[in-house]
Amino acid sequence: MGNISFPSIIRLSNGVPVYLLRGGTLDLIRVEFVLNAGQIMEETHMAASVTNAMLTEGTVSHDAIKLNDLIDSTGAVFNHTADKDTASLVVISLSRKLEEVMELAWEVLFHPSFPENELRMLKEKKIQAFLTGRQKTSVIGREQFYMALCGKANPYGRITRLEDYDALTTAVASDFHSRFYRPENMYITVSGRDPEGALPVLGKFFSVSGKWQKPKIPQLLFETSRPGRIFAKVNGSVQSAVRMGWKGITRDHHDYHGLQVANMILGGYFGSRLMRNIREDKGYTYGIHSVAGAFHGIGFIAIMTEVANENREETLIEIKKEVTELRRNEVSADELQIVRNHFMGEIARMFDGPFSSAETVRGIIDYETDHDYYTKLVNTVETITPDKIKELFITYFNPEEAIEVIAGAE
Amino acid sequence: MIEFKRHTLANGLRVIAHFDDSTPMVTTDLLYDVGSRDEDPEATGFAHLFEHLMFGGTAEVPAFDTPVMIAGGENNAFTNNDITNYFITLPANNLETALWLEADRMQWLDLSESRLRIQKSVVTEEYRQRYLNQPYGDLMLLLRPLAFRKHPYMWSAIGKDISHIEKADSKRVKQFYHKYYTPSNAILCVAGNVHPDNVFGMAEKWFGDIPHGQCNVRELPQESPQVERREVTVHRNVPAAHLIMAFHTEKRVSRQFYILDLLTDILSGCDSGRFPEILVRKKELFSEADIYLSGEIDPGLVIFSGRLKNGVDIKGAEEAVWDELNRLATRQVTSAELEKARNRYEASRLMSLISAGNKAFNLAFQELLGDADGINTEIEKYMSVTAAEITDCSSMTFRQENCSVIHYLPESHES
Repeated sequence: MGNISFPSIIRLSNGVPVYLLRGGTLDLIRVEFVLNAGQIMEETHMAASVTNAMLTEGTVSHDAIKLNDLIDSTGAVFNHTADKDTASLVVISLSRKLEEVMELAWEVLFHPSFPENELRMLKEKKIQAFLTGRQKTSVIGREQFYMALCGKANPYGRITRLEDYDALTTAVASDFHSRFYRPENMYITVSGRDPEGALPVLGKFFSVSGKWQKPKIPQLLFETSRPGRIFAKVNGSVQSAVRMGWKGITRDHHDYHGLQVANMILGGYFGSRLMRNIREDKGYTYGIHSVAGAFHGIGFIAIMTEVANENREETLIEIKKEVTELRRNEVSADELQIVRNHFMGEIARMFDGPFSSAETVRGIIDYETDHDYYTKLVNTVETITPDKIKELFITYFNPEEAIEVIAGAE
Repeated sequence: MIEFKRHTLANGLRVIAHFDDSTPMVTTDLLYDVGSRDEDPEATGFAHLFEHLMFGGTAEVPAFDTPVMIAGGENNAFTNNDITNYFITLPANNLETALWLEADRMQWLDLSESRLRIQKSVVTEEYRQRYLNQPYGDLMLLLRPLAFRKHPYMWSAIGKDISHIEKADSKRVKQFYHKYYTPSNAILCVAGNVHPDNVFGMAEKWFGDIPHGQCNVRELPQESPQVERREVTVHRNVPAAHLIMAFHTEKRVSRQFYILDLLTDILSGCDSGRFPEILVRKKELFSEADIYLSGEIDPGLVIFSGRLKNGVDIKGAEEAVWDELNRLATRQVTSAELEKARNRYEASRLMSLISAGNKAFNLAFQELLGDADGINTEIEKYMSVTAAEITDCSSMTFRQENCSVIHYLPESHES
């Protein structure tokens, strides 16, 4: 097992936290800027993702073409994404180019210009991708599930409609940016052979303004649908997406670690009950998985697969059989041992190398989870009993209370 | 510099060991020199179906995954037109578990009828999920038979048609196993926190007794030079048109591969490439415009792939791509473009060396190409590419007579 302890924190002079993850042998450095600028902060739907996508579409000093040419010439990779809870810019650079690359990162994060023409083109591209998504059963199935779980007005449950793109203007992006893309609203992770070596450069560009504050997460309202079946028609599909799930628990709940183990037994690895039955015994699918996760304020358990239209009812019956079996009978010591070992191996891989460690640590910081989250998880994995696992299935996986979604042909 | 040691067992198994003590893990990569190019044209998709069967267990190990999980590992495999590749990553002190499992299934695989029946069904669902139930999912299924008329690259690794998978019988499965799953037809690479001497000792212990196997001589029909443009138009239920233009290239180990790899990076490897700048931003013909090498060992393809913006005529869009390709033949790429591509290659090469798993696969694949040291020497081949070579190579490659085109149009769009 690698080092799973929480990394050391240094603060820039304006209070911005910098987490340092040392390791590896290569002359590469990864710097990630995480901002409290995800979908949960937006008033206009998709403002977070459009603002983030526009970061590299031009700055006050450089138009889009020149800016991208400058970035690409350094050899660095800039990946920027906005998801439900945060927005981020990941930069991977040759160590020797770090200073010029960080200057570009500063420009991109804090001085984008949001040109009209680039926004128009970006929206056209996003609309095309949106329309393509309307033909993917997996996309429709996922949307319907989260809408049922969180409510249609909730940022986690809201389904995008074509007309939503009309409201996205440069004013919306620029306003969202000025409120949330501020040094005082972010933290930084640095990983590589010599993360401390990056501190002077980070200080030069990112400690110039503002005073860091603990992120404020808005209170969200949830409206979970009653249990039952939701059917979404996707014309011409040869397979259906099948989803089944429940409202779960958040990371601060005392059962959260145990639920991770229970989930792994059901559908969290290749040898899971669901894979063995529905793929390896019935041959209904290329893959079936389950996940127990959480956003801010709500947790969820979801089982997902894609099967031939004619097998979808039988698949749901078999999923329920597997869940019921785990509610009735304890797992054997042998099966639990396999899951324990596999889980420990998975944690070891999550901390294998500085870049993976940086990704893993992000989850702890973003959800204000205990700094010893992984130590506690390891402890649960090693000590949880078959009896406790059965109890978790009885509490959290009641087939009578499940939300079921089928997206496919009629 | 990636240091490694090499040793060949008496039965022909080539073993490569790379020591990396910066990780607590180790990866075994076992590459079999068999891919979909080795299939009977009437039984395609076979190499990939067989990959699924390799997880079916043996008399000694009834379920392949169980010991991997007990050892805290993860494993997977992939099949392409050239090779079938299996890998296991696990804590370094459990290396022997991985070697035991790989040696066991190289020799004693359980090829039962029921196993075959279920995996045929799983692969059929994979075919549907990845190729048929995805918008644009069948593009490569259409391109291969258009571009290749003789060489077995004319079908994809998933196979020509679902019916081929349904027809697979256990007699053929057994012949395939005995012909290709032998030590002399494989390369084993172990990368991670285990010393090479220990790797070679364990490899001898677990693989040393497996019989050599027959020698396979690969005699594939070679593609004749294409002499005229090929074009197909299809209509599908998609929101936007898509343009594919594919050109024949030379084999993987030719100088041309490196020239074209660098050139495709200059054209579309990053946002400031020529295609994103000119075809997407300035002319607004495409929402995405990409060009890449298919990367096969035998002569393969360089493929332009572009999603059209709404309302753009596909013939006009194709003209604009030709303008850019022709410009390469007449005007050299700039030194700034070359310098950028070299920097990007240097950085992406380092990124590819972060994980032991990637290093293990790269070493094994380079060994298959002729020398594992390619992992270190390829950089020189990229760095020495000149603007004049790019010009020559472009005029040789980007010709109408060497081009296969797909106009993939939305159903409502009648041409």
